[in-house]
Amino acid sequence: MATRLLKVSSALRAYSNNTSLVKVPKQWQSTSASLKEILLNQPPTQVTTLDCGMRIATEDSGAPTATVGLWIDAGSRFETDENNGVAHFMEHMAFKGTTKRSQTDLELEIENMGAHLNAYTSREQTVFYAKCLAEDVPKAVEILSDIIQNSKLGENEIERERGVILREMQEVETNLQEVVFDHLHASAYQGTPLGRTILGPTNNIKKITRNDLVQYVKQYYGPPRFILAGAGGVNHNALVELAEKHFGQMKGPVYDEIPPVLTPCRYTGSEIRVRDDSIPLAHVAIAIEGAGWADPDNIPLMVANTLMGAWDRSQGGGVNNISYLAEASAHDGLCHSYQSFNTCYQDTGLWGVYFVSDPMEIEWFIHNLQREWMRLCTSVTEKEVERAKNILKTNMLLQLDGTTAICEDIGRQMLCYNRRIPLHEFEARINSITASNIHDIGMKYIYDQCPVIAGVGPVENLPDYNTIRAGMYRLRL
Amino acid sequence: MLPQSSLTTVAFTNSAVRRKSVCFLKKCSFSSQKTINNKITRKSIVTPFPPLTQPVPNLPKAVYATAKEEHQITKVTVLSNGLKVASENRFGQFCTVGVLLDSGPRYEVAYPHGISHFLEKLAFGSTTTYENKDQIMLALEKHGGICDCQASRDTFVYAASAERRGLDTVVQILGDIVLRPQITQEEINAARQMIKFELESLLTRPEQEPILMDMIHAAAYRNNTLGLPKICPKENVDHIDRKILFEYLKCHYTPHRMVVAGVGVEHEDLVSAVQKYFVEEKSIWEKGEEGQVQNDSVGKHLNIVDTSIAQYTGGYILEECNVPVYAGPSGLPELSHVVIGLEGCSHQDSNFVAMCVLNMMMGGGNSFSAGGPGKGMYTRLYTNVLNRYHWLYSATAYNHAYADTGLFYIHASCTPSHVRDMVEVIVHEMVTMTNNITDNELARAKKQLQSMLLMNLEQRPVVFEDIGRQVLATGSRKRPEYFIKAIDEISKDDVKNVARRLLKSPPSVAARGEVRAVPTIRDIQTGLIDEQGRLPGSRGRLSLFR
Repeated sequence: MATRLLKVSSALRAYSNNTSLVKVPKQWQSTSASLKEILLNQPPTQVTTLDCGMRIATEDSGAPTATVGLWIDAGSRFETDENNGVAHFMEHMAFKGTTKRSQTDLELEIENMGAHLNAYTSREQTVFYAKCLAEDVPKAVEILSDIIQNSKLGENEIERERGVILREMQEVETNLQEVVFDHLHASAYQGTPLGRTILGPTNNIKKITRNDLVQYVKQYYGPPRFILAGAGGVNHNALVELAEKHFGQMKGPVYDEIPPVLTPCRYTGSEIRVRDDSIPLAHVAIAIEGAGWADPDNIPLMVANTLMGAWDRSQGGGVNNISYLAEASAHDGLCHSYQSFNTCYQDTGLWGVYFVSDPMEIEWFIHNLQREWMRLCTSVTEKEVERAKNILKTNMLLQLDGTTAICEDIGRQMLCYNRRIPLHEFEARINSITASNIHDIGMKYIYDQCPVIAGVGPVENLPDYNTIRAGMYRLRL
Repeated sequence: MLPQSSLTTVAFTNSAVRRKSVCFLKKCSFSSQKTINNKITRKSIVTPFPPLTQPVPNLPKAVYATAKEEHQITKVTVLSNGLKVASENRFGQFCTVGVLLDSGPRYEVAYPHGISHFLEKLAFGSTTTYENKDQIMLALEKHGGICDCQASRDTFVYAASAERRGLDTVVQILGDIVLRPQITQEEINAARQMIKFELESLLTRPEQEPILMDMIHAAAYRNNTLGLPKICPKENVDHIDRKILFEYLKCHYTPHRMVVAGVGVEHEDLVSAVQKYFVEEKSIWEKGEEGQVQNDSVGKHLNIVDTSIAQYTGGYILEECNVPVYAGPSGLPELSHVVIGLEGCSHQDSNFVAMCVLNMMMGGGNSFSAGGPGKGMYTRLYTNVLNRYHWLYSATAYNHAYADTGLFYIHASCTPSHVRDMVEVIVHEMVTMTNNITDNELARAKKQLQSMLLMNLEQRPVVFEDIGRQVLATGSRKRPEYFIKAIDEISKDDVKNVARRLLKSPPSVAARGEVRAVPTIRDIQTGLIDEQGRLPGSRGRLSLFR
């Protein structure tokens, strides 16, 4: 039957989890008042900080496979107008060979181990991780340390990678959802680093030099900014030793003068419209400023986000839709699909809804959406909130299947919270939320606040900004 | 706090108006009487907890699990009516439980084809206990559950994941949907709509895999068992009705063709729940409410299960058509797809593991794909084919194993002008499978197969399916360690032997798109016998420069 397993079967993983962009870990049912011990059917997360400042966090499940990765506190937010795109460029260069191994050696070594090496860059984080058999963890850590510290950055490879990135950019541009979210950031965080794209403008990609990459690495790649996270068959002490061996001697980051401090990114209620009537459907995102990663308000905002839900045409209608918006969409054909989102950064966030609709339905959708938002602020019921809490917990728990998902959760939480929040604490925080918390959070973040709007496609029917702004409060007669 | 410019003032004036009118009209307020809490500002604290960076005080102390995953064992129980229950415990708060059945298009020879397609769409519909799908969803949602049904050629899988304490509800739902579905006329109508929609969208999507899968099986097993279509033929959509479906269910959804498997559950709990909902509570057809068509003339010949052994015939199915192009500036032209298959082996065959290693060694994929090292860039279809011929878009080896047979095939796609060259390249690759297997290459394929097996088994639903399928096929489950060891023991000769065995079988060919130039089956067959894999009339050896 092993072949069945070779065709990665997705029996239940297909469950879409569009509603929560925030991931949180598994947990056990807890009763908030009890002071008893509580049993968590999950291994503990162990954390150690090395002398060089690097943090190591692991969850050892004793599995025969493991994921280990470096989570780096760096991303496109740390760039300037001149070098925007360099973080992402660096991610591409990492697999192009080091002083120890050529690109082919690196690829062959990984393939011969039956391992996978991957990387991604976001606005605030850069991640390199390897998925391998448990016995190969030492080798994987060595490879990670090699590609981080000794990347060759050959001129030829840089030239070749420019083309690859420009091509990737073309691909991103065909994905209208990505385009809308880039515009949303550009508008909401205009004039600040969060407003820039991750890939950077074409001009920058064309002119980024080896020196730019080296400078960036010097400034932002260093043990104090690294989390080495591991999940699956990883022994914590062994991983700490490996980290000491491969990263302990690493210097950096090297700052020019004083270490860069995270500059707060200002939010601006505003809008951007890219009208293109040749596109069949309108793609619109509308959001308000949410909370940063660590803000306790994030939990009620996540529940509120779940209350808004997500829907697409393949789902059909019915009472199992949590939100009225989904029901209205199914019933009246308001849109082709929509999903609510809660994107977080260190000190700010965007909370809102992204939808795709027929050009002439935009106004109706916005009308219904804002009515829902107002209901959220004033009269959403206890029963709805209970249901949303349940769904939120399920979504979060079901996501954590497999070593890669768990490792990702550990790495992200270590960067965002400087700890891994225990399951029962998350559960306690979610369980404590009541309808009146949701009303309050709505009054604080949504009611009478200036939204940010980004629309791409045939958006003639998108109401003007003042009209939408006027829908952010309610006149009750 | 925010630079909201003049808009803030507009809003402010408006909200002042509101306050006034609320006072004035308070007595005849139509909407909720609750007053809006206006005192909250961006500075207010609305949650009593500390920031997420700090722990919540006074929480109960956590005791973490220390058990290791390898300590788990698979337990199997056979119930009084022949139903098998298999389970394994595991970390985490969630369990996955499901039913696996010997059912699928393979058994549809006496029925109008497409029944499985219907049953897949009708899954989790109304039952004797639950009025409609929504009720089931609501019941599952209380335990944070989700559910899914997937059909393959010979197995149906109904499964649900939920919190552990929802086990009883989950088993009740599974028992109901498998043994006591209502299948109302409305549901059938809805399923017809869905299938029609799906048939249409299949033709407009550039992905050809589902159609080609059906085509290559139809070519390999002509008009028997595994060759029967999984996609409902257009003319049967309106023909399949409630009576036919119930007749099929009655014959095939019987206890001895069924396994209930669970992961993350206590075995005893699962057995007692299954006893309650699968044994004590009768199926809708046993209750005699449905499926009373035994005396019907149609009923008679439908009343048997097709137990025939799959007959590999080989064959040739070409469909000249326009394949939709990928949207956006992907730079991909219209593609022509060709699948060339050979008879493989069953999953009970002694050569099965060697066949999997061979499949891994051939590997392949798309010429443009994302991701870092580790996606099989040094497999033969990459190094010998994709890296060499720029006009090839994809080439991938597949190995499907069933209870009594198997199908090994290579699927490739390219620009229409190179279809003939592509067939030559693939045939050449198949013939030379036995040549020059290096130690490195074999070791890599073995290691990749082992890691793929173990990595897939990280996920609870995959473990569930593995347990279920193995128990359904053999009555017990071989642990992953068994396969790891078996893979270790594969030698070069084993791989050569299975490759030779493959090449002895007549070819099956399926092609779709602009495929007029595909050589005849006789030419392909001659090519497969030729030592160099040369097709008759080909313009000499394959060369880059032509």
